Amino acid sequence: MADLPAGAAQLSFDGTALHAGTGPGRRFMVDERCLDGAPIARAYAHVCALPDAAAVVAFDQPEIQQVRRAALAWWIPLLGDALVCVTTLALDASGYGGAITVTRTPVAWDQDPFARIFPGTVVRTDLFSVVAPPAGPVIERYAGVAWPGGRF
Amino acid sequence: MNLTCGDRFPDLDLPDHTGRPRLLSEVAGGDPVALLFSRGWWCPKEQRHLREVTALQDEFEVAYARIVVVSIDTPEVQSAFRAGIGARFTFLSDPKRRWLKQLDLLEESDTVHHPYRPTAFTLHPDLTIHRVYDGYWYWGRPTSEDLRQDMRAISRAVREDFRR
Repeated sequence: MADLPAGAAQLSFDGTALHAGTGPGRRFMVDERCLDGAPIARAYAHVCALPDAAAVVAFDQPEIQQVRRAALAWWIPLLGDALVCVTTLALDASGYGGAITVTRTPVAWDQDPFARIFPGTVVRTDLFSVVAPPAGPVIERYAGVAWPGGRF
Repeated sequence: MNLTCGDRFPDLDLPDHTGRPRLLSEVAGGDPVALLFSRGWWCPKEQRHLREVTALQDEFEVAYARIVVVSIDTPEVQSAFRAGIGARFTFLSDPKRRWLKQLDLLEESDTVHHPYRPTAFTLHPDLTIHRVYDGYWYWGRPTSEDLRQDMRAISRAVREDFRR
């Protein structure tokens, strides 16, 4: 993976567990704010991604734009106070590898719009911190950072 | 409080439509903002205008610009209204009318709800006021074209690479 752009952090997913930095499994870039604060212990991460390197779609594809719209419209409001943070998983300047929604408690993961792209796996984790959810309506990425991270 | 072009708009601290505390500057996130003070969900004029603004969100979502609506409705009511019109932007809730008093934006002719006077501001990312629209009369509100023109002007001023 190339040098990380400003606003991005790295994690890896092996199909069952998440690792900060360059651990075992497939590497992704996330919104760095999600790994930047005080971590929430034993949070639930719904990882809608696959460890298979072939599982990639361009961020600009209509279906990837639409799941971001769905996240803004109803997924984030549906989660309420359970939400810790949400981030897409970027592979490079254009590749979408999935998304992670992190919550304090179990939620209606079967409703997760990101699972329409890649199936979700629930992972218990201590990696993530609270980030204010994206304000909308912007779904574009800032300088290649994993949505909703970054800013001008 | 001065709310004229060139003044810095106060950094509102209000809960959003999910009840989370927010700052206007945080919601702006470094982008130009269309800030709309709205009477509330019950007003047909607000319903009509916010549907037009919602139609415009398809342009804002790809143009690095923000839409924020402030009303006296509770977060729960805003969340329902937001879902009803299909909005994907942030509503800020001021049922205690805390900022309404400070901003001097009371709608004096509505003696039932005591809502915000419909007023729109277009703001630079640092919350400097670009234009003000008094929407007490419906035709005073910004049209979609007004908002496009304002977002273009602000973006031209703040994006260094807008013109190459």
